[in-house]
Amino acid sequence: MANNRCSVLVCQGTGCVSGGSEHIYNALKDELESSGHDEGISVKRTGCHGFCQQGPMIVVEPRGVFYTKVKTDDVPDIIKSVLPGGKSLDRLFYRDPVSEKAVTHYHDIPFYIKQERTILKYCGYIDPEEINDYTEIGGYAALRKAITWMTPEGVITEVKNSGIRGLGGAGFPAGRKWESCRNAPGDVKYVVCNADEGDPGAFQDRSVMEGNPHSVIEGMIIAAYAIGADKGFIYVRAEYPLAVNRLKTAIEQARQEGLLGDNILDSDFSFDMEIFQGAGAFVCGESTALVRSIEGKRGMPKAMPRPRTTEEGLWNKPTLLNNVKTFANIPLIITNGAGWFARRGTEKSKGTAVFSLTGKVVNCGLIEVPMGATLRKIIYDIGGGIPGGKSLKAVQTGGPSGGCLPAEMIDIPVDFDSLAEAGSIMGSGGLVVMDEGTCMVDVARYFLDFNRRESCGQCIPCRLGTRQMFEILDDITKGKGRPGDIDLLDRLSKSIKRSSICGLGKTAPNPVITTLRYFRDEYDAHIRDMRCPAGVCSMK
Amino acid sequence: MEELVELTIDGKEIEVPAGMNLIDAAERAGIHIPNLCYLKGMKGIGACRLCLVEIQGLKAPVIACNTKVKDGMIVNTKTDKVQEVRKFVIDLILSMHPLDCMTCTKAGKCNLQKYAYDFELKESSFTRKKFGYPTDAANPFIMRDPDYCILCGRCARVCNEQGTNVLEFMGRGVDSRVITANDKPLQESGCTFCGSCVDACPVNALLESDRLRKGREWDYKEINSVCLLCGNGCDITVSTKDGVIRKINAGAEAGSAEKYICAYGRFGFDCIEAETRLTVPMKRVNGELKDTDWQDALAIVSEKLKQAGKEAGFISVAGIGNEDALTLKKLARDVVRTKNFDTTLSLYADSESLRNSQAANIDNADLILLVGLDPSQWKRVLPALDAAVRRRAGRGAKLIVVNSSETKIEEAATISLKGDEISILESIAKALTEKGIKADRRLVSSVKNAGITEPVEKAADLISGARSPLIFSSPALFNASANIALLKGKVISVGLESNARGIALMGLTTEGKTYREMINSRMKVLYAVGEVPMVKRPDADFLIVQNSHMTELAKQADVVLPSATFLESAGTMVDYMGRMKYLPKVIEPQGESKSHREIFTGISKLMGTPLKKVTEAEVGKAAKVKTKPAFSSFVKQEGLDVSPQELIESVNASVINGSRLLWLKETEKAIAV
Repeated sequence: MANNRCSVLVCQGTGCVSGGSEHIYNALKDELESSGHDEGISVKRTGCHGFCQQGPMIVVEPRGVFYTKVKTDDVPDIIKSVLPGGKSLDRLFYRDPVSEKAVTHYHDIPFYIKQERTILKYCGYIDPEEINDYTEIGGYAALRKAITWMTPEGVITEVKNSGIRGLGGAGFPAGRKWESCRNAPGDVKYVVCNADEGDPGAFQDRSVMEGNPHSVIEGMIIAAYAIGADKGFIYVRAEYPLAVNRLKTAIEQARQEGLLGDNILDSDFSFDMEIFQGAGAFVCGESTALVRSIEGKRGMPKAMPRPRTTEEGLWNKPTLLNNVKTFANIPLIITNGAGWFARRGTEKSKGTAVFSLTGKVVNCGLIEVPMGATLRKIIYDIGGGIPGGKSLKAVQTGGPSGGCLPAEMIDIPVDFDSLAEAGSIMGSGGLVVMDEGTCMVDVARYFLDFNRRESCGQCIPCRLGTRQMFEILDDITKGKGRPGDIDLLDRLSKSIKRSSICGLGKTAPNPVITTLRYFRDEYDAHIRDMRCPAGVCSMK
Repeated sequence: MEELVELTIDGKEIEVPAGMNLIDAAERAGIHIPNLCYLKGMKGIGACRLCLVEIQGLKAPVIACNTKVKDGMIVNTKTDKVQEVRKFVIDLILSMHPLDCMTCTKAGKCNLQKYAYDFELKESSFTRKKFGYPTDAANPFIMRDPDYCILCGRCARVCNEQGTNVLEFMGRGVDSRVITANDKPLQESGCTFCGSCVDACPVNALLESDRLRKGREWDYKEINSVCLLCGNGCDITVSTKDGVIRKINAGAEAGSAEKYICAYGRFGFDCIEAETRLTVPMKRVNGELKDTDWQDALAIVSEKLKQAGKEAGFISVAGIGNEDALTLKKLARDVVRTKNFDTTLSLYADSESLRNSQAANIDNADLILLVGLDPSQWKRVLPALDAAVRRRAGRGAKLIVVNSSETKIEEAATISLKGDEISILESIAKALTEKGIKADRRLVSSVKNAGITEPVEKAADLISGARSPLIFSSPALFNASANIALLKGKVISVGLESNARGIALMGLTTEGKTYREMINSRMKVLYAVGEVPMVKRPDADFLIVQNSHMTELAKQADVVLPSATFLESAGTMVDYMGRMKYLPKVIEPQGESKSHREIFTGISKLMGTPLKKVTEAEVGKAAKVKTKPAFSSFVKQEGLDVSPQELIESVNASVINGSRLLWLKETEKAIAV
């Protein structure tokens, strides 16, 4: 990178790839080569830049010129623009939606300015298929530091002191989890990365794996060193072929560099990992179901009381299971220290949160903010507000297990505890913005449909209870609601919550609970007045 | 001594062994905690959510099936909170379950029906729906009707634990189903039709195929007995109505690894009324077998036996009861005065090994050593042993398989030791003595040259570390196996027929010619009892066949005496584990058939030396063995090499051919091709 006069970074996240960015990348390469201008200009693939709405995207470094909605036809002009004397292409600049002014540079776009990108920092900057790109930005230095200078206990202390909580959704303090796994008796231990991102509309784990796979791998190796594991698995959904391929490449490269395998960095520590592809069952994101799935069994959660996965996980051995983003944070914590990490966020939720911002918002995409940022900041400052001059109605966080918060709550801070208090959850990072044209009963119906389909079928409350809830909601949205339906929904919600085996079942009624709590009048309108206030449901 | 724990359940103070779960503990106190997915003996999975109970000091209710008792625990099983959950769950199940209890065969034994009754749920308060799945009725044994299935998973878990692995869940949410691999019919899915799933099903989703309108559960009389069709001698529960057997279920105690019966035991009872069933005595007249009466038949038989005297020979199967065996022995020795009486036992065992075999309980074994045995549910060779061993292994016991040939059971083994069994046992013995286990001097010196490989060393580690190892040995290798038991554990000699051990204990072992010698020499009179494995008439001057069914051999006999089956005659047997078991007369014998000993006694009367009825005390005395385990050389007994599968199929030929098992045999043959 250093010898280059300029780099053309072509986003190769799943969103941009589906917009044709692979062709653009190839065309750029071919064109440069055939025109003989390739000296000093490099074309690079990168992971997701986050601003998916504007894809396919190209960034020209070192100046950070930012092109949006690029097509293959634009390639000759882009090349001309980077040649000496070339001018930037006005037509491809991002335009401020309000002032309609062109914003030429990456760093000046509000979508980026208002974020604090830490684990996403290098997604979109480095080539995810080049380990050197990662080491150039300081990658694997944390691992070297941990192995060379730190004891496993020291690593755990650092993680504990950082205050990082599991970013898969539940927010369990990661350091404590690591410690209990280290202390669990047993010669054989495992590290497992939960990359079974199943929430509809969520893609933050995928983007991290696609954009900076080595950060996840490095985090896992450090974890293995800390707890004393010699084998790891990344459980990725098979629906993420790009992430799987990039991880495969990255693992292979790490092996060749002696960062995985026997005697890592010439130490006594040995560790290797493999990718396990899940078959796309939502419930396999639950720790015990995920473990069973890797064991080759049907992914069904285990009922409490049961030993923690840190004591009895994979093949009954102590197993450390963390989310992609949790692992991606580890190298940063080790390199920069716990204090650096703990500076961001709130008292009880440290660090940053990554969200897939989708729905009725101007700037859809992948964002990262400090824990405790308000929904207002996320939706308006970063997201650019609601398109079409409409007003905000609700925000859904936490995916199908989460809840819908009304517009009035837009000033609550986004962290584990505040969201839980409001009746929703942090979840793994889905954030769906809904405008006035959204029917909340229909939203509840949509999520219940998802939950009933994804129930593992093991316990009766979840399997049959969600079916009942869905059917009541379906009836209501079809104008067939009956008086008493709301009470019945309430009763079902409480009973399912109380009696289901696992987290999926216990949270399955959440979309209904919060919409009933904050939007009850909409239910009433459907049932009593046979009217959908948002005009979404056809009330025949 | 097991450690005891004191706790209070619904105000009742009880004392139960530590490690017990709350469902079992409550049961001891006479309190039933509702459940649909719990299977005694297996780890609770908590799927049905019915067994939630409240424990003082804990905020949320816990599942009783997987919560262990603790000292001082105060448990409430019927709080409003948990009752509400239970009612909710049953209510939900009823929303997808047929409400046809008035015609449902399972009514009366259906757990769902019971709980719906308990919670006064006439029907579901939710909207109802039907699955509408097709019924699998493509076999004559088990009918699967997924419309009734409540997805408790018991069937799949039972099937998987015993190693048959036919049933498993498929699909998600409401579309979850229990299916076979690729949703094929059972017979194409490796199903052995043991019916364990039927016993486990709490509702009407899995049922014996022929039950429709053959009586309701409450019409049945349930009688506990023992299956005498193979060397496992499994406990069975026979249900009869109007003096006819309607079904047979596994009879062992719930939770035991032995709660299993195979397709023979469960469905073989059809043969009682098979066309081949003998109901009257027959004699050969002008080269043809003709019906006759008992008086005539017995007169001929006793006359012939009198004439033959010591040149008469008696051969029997070892699947007859103790009383029959003792009476037969007396008839031969004391009435006919011949020393020639022997059984099929001599084809696969020496009676000494069976007499010296110890008594044990497989549920206590934490290590099982299988020596020279190839039990198989699929071949139906000691299938219950196969199932029990796999279950014990699944529940944490270690399994070591020692065999010179490939066995299927070794797939469940912790260590499989291949090769000459005697050498391996010598090595194990040596490794054990080297671990400091005290041993007879002769034993030590006899194994001093044995080499110890790494797997043998590991096996010895496991054995020496085990609390109560149990060795199952083929009779031919018993002496060598018993030497291991001298060092650690108990040893069982496993015969192929149900009462092999009883036969040995009753002393029905020849003092003259052996079984093989009798059929290969020209006896003046040869008297065959039971379905002896023989198709061609042996070279005897006069052949008497006493059996429940017409067989190829019986067709060539001079006199045929119809005997009762084991379900039609009372008696006792000693199973391979050394337990004396009682068999009541479940139903009356068909036609004029009589128990073996009635026939023997009848003959003795006509011969002028009437035999007295064998008493319980007599059997008990014979069954008591006072041998002290002692070292004997590591030698394999020769000549005991009959094919187990062939022998078991031969002695049960009439059962198989006279029941729906014939369909199974033919289907398995067709699939194997």
